[in-house]
Amino acid sequence: MAEIVFDQVAKVYPGGNTAVENLSLHVADGEFMVLVGPSGCGKTTALRMIAGLEEITDGTISIGGQVVNNVLPKDRDIAMVFQNYALYPQMTVGQNMGFALKIRNVPKDEIKRRVSEAAKILRLTEYLDRRPKALSGGQRQRVAMGRAIVREPQAFLMDEPLSNLDAQLRVEMRSEISRIQRLLGVATIYVTHDQTEAMTMGDRVAVMRGGVLQQVATPEDLYDHPANAFVAGFIGSPPMNLLNATLVESEGTLRARFGDQSVEVPARYRQTHRLDENLTRPLLLGVRPEDLVVANADAPGRFSATVALREALGSEILAHLNFGGEDVIVTDEAQASAPASHSTRVVARLGARAKVTVGERIDLTLNPENLHFFDAQSGETLRVSR
Amino acid sequence: MTVLASPPDALTVNAPKPTRSLARRRLGRTLIFVAMAIMAVIMLYPFAVMILISFKTNAQYLIGSSGTSTQTWQQINATLPIWQELWNSTVVCSLSILLILVIGVMAGFSFAKLQFRGGNVVFLAIVSAMMVPLQAILIPEFVNIAKTGLTNNYLGAVVVYAALGTPFSIFLFTTYFRRIPDELIEAGIVDGLGYWGVLWRLAMPMALPAIATVTVLQFIQIWDDLLVGLLFLQNPGERTITVGLAALAAGHTTSIPLLMAGSLVSAAPAMIVYLVFQRFLVRGLTMGIDR
Repeated sequence: MAEIVFDQVAKVYPGGNTAVENLSLHVADGEFMVLVGPSGCGKTTALRMIAGLEEITDGTISIGGQVVNNVLPKDRDIAMVFQNYALYPQMTVGQNMGFALKIRNVPKDEIKRRVSEAAKILRLTEYLDRRPKALSGGQRQRVAMGRAIVREPQAFLMDEPLSNLDAQLRVEMRSEISRIQRLLGVATIYVTHDQTEAMTMGDRVAVMRGGVLQQVATPEDLYDHPANAFVAGFIGSPPMNLLNATLVESEGTLRARFGDQSVEVPARYRQTHRLDENLTRPLLLGVRPEDLVVANADAPGRFSATVALREALGSEILAHLNFGGEDVIVTDEAQASAPASHSTRVVARLGARAKVTVGERIDLTLNPENLHFFDAQSGETLRVSR
Repeated sequence: MTVLASPPDALTVNAPKPTRSLARRRLGRTLIFVAMAIMAVIMLYPFAVMILISFKTNAQYLIGSSGTSTQTWQQINATLPIWQELWNSTVVCSLSILLILVIGVMAGFSFAKLQFRGGNVVFLAIVSAMMVPLQAILIPEFVNIAKTGLTNNYLGAVVVYAALGTPFSIFLFTTYFRRIPDELIEAGIVDGLGYWGVLWRLAMPMALPAIATVTVLQFIQIWDDLLVGLLFLQNPGERTITVGLAALAAGHTTSIPLLMAGSLVSAAPAMIVYLVFQRFLVRGLTMGIDR
């Protein structure tokens, strides 16, 4: 078992396409680190560089304190689980799991012991003599896990291992992989584009975009204190609403104005965010869907919006809202640097019993405790202390 | 009453349709069967004639007697060095196919899975070599082989057969290996294999249908070939069976029953190989179609 360290790692493909830029990341021994980001963000390339399947253009990668830039994949003592499982079709489940040990000339008895031990953990004992084609998707996924486990490697690398499973099986396997990782206590780097997987499985989550690491934090920290508008828009389902806003001060009270509406900003944000130096400058106001609350007609600080779409999910209702002024919602991608910027509406997460109908105009308030402010140009958070 | 009567009417109207389509399908199948049977008769007729004539003496054949005799079969080895020629054919075939397989597997794997500059151009150049007819390159090849002095042993013919069979073999193996996901290769590498290990321990077992296809097709082609053997196997002791039969046919006095018996012996191995491996042959040739 060992820690994994990226030190200013870069990957530039022939032709000048930069896949990973100046990546520095420390994965502690036994930690479950999730690399998450949209397609083409460089997360899989980063993983493949650890495995030795991609050459490193610049910087160093260390496993267990040893720089592995020029070490062959077979000598890095890592095990990898692939998106399509990559099981050897001509071998049985048991042979698949024991293959890496066989190559290393581990005695047969030892291979048998380790394979049956792993099979027990993964509940695969009765399938050991079957070929991969005779297994279901979930079972194949477990065999791929088993192949990694029997190696007893220094680190596990997993490249979107659940993306080929159906939704229900994915939920099951999510907890299964987390359970096994905690049981074995091996440093694990898990790549996914699914932020739900990232949030539910990772001890820490590293968000990447365009080859650049955006933020590394615990799932809670990532959700509550996104470092920039991109992370704010990427993490959370539905994502954070980003509104073009301006801060104005009147009679000692700070207000965030968006379109023809405005809300009062509690004074404490002046201590935690760089707001005073951004007065009257355009910025982005971020509001999580659950922080938009249906208000009584006489509630202070309320504003109104029209329900454009209602999605009843059973446990909650997602209300897509249009409200005053077309320029309110961030639509300029360069400005927002967030996937949510494509949205033309604001989404509110309401209680399952909320009485809202499409076309209705409703009153809302913002939860003043959870406002987020980002620079309109760079998308960086205006928060100074986390 | 009227209401109750209407559904059966609808059924009656629809009923003849499936019967007619069934009858049409049966007729179609019968026609195909008849056509296939005619084709089979056309294909098998020469074999039947060969078998019948081989069970006659030369005298019986010449006077058109309906009698039969096993004399030709009893004397075949004395008249024709058939066992030696069969052995020669086997050696030439085996060595050529081995060479074709080794080169084809390695080159196919390289073209399919290793990225190198100019790989596609080289691959296209090799594949385009399949379109060059044997007759067009035979003379220059003979001159080259003769210069190296290889026309007096098996090696000359083996090299030429291998050169002729390799482009197809490379094409087939490249196509086959391209179907193997890159992740499988990478899994092998992470598990501890080098590229050689991946090729021999992972890719080769998966390529068995392609290996069988190349083996069968090349076996039939090389075993039945006359032209290359005739030119490149100048030593009578190294003649293949087809060359031996051609020499017999060109003799001053040719025993037709003997020629037929020899031809049957010559055709048998190719037929056996085809019948045994035809399952792989079809699978190998149709791979890529069923994606």
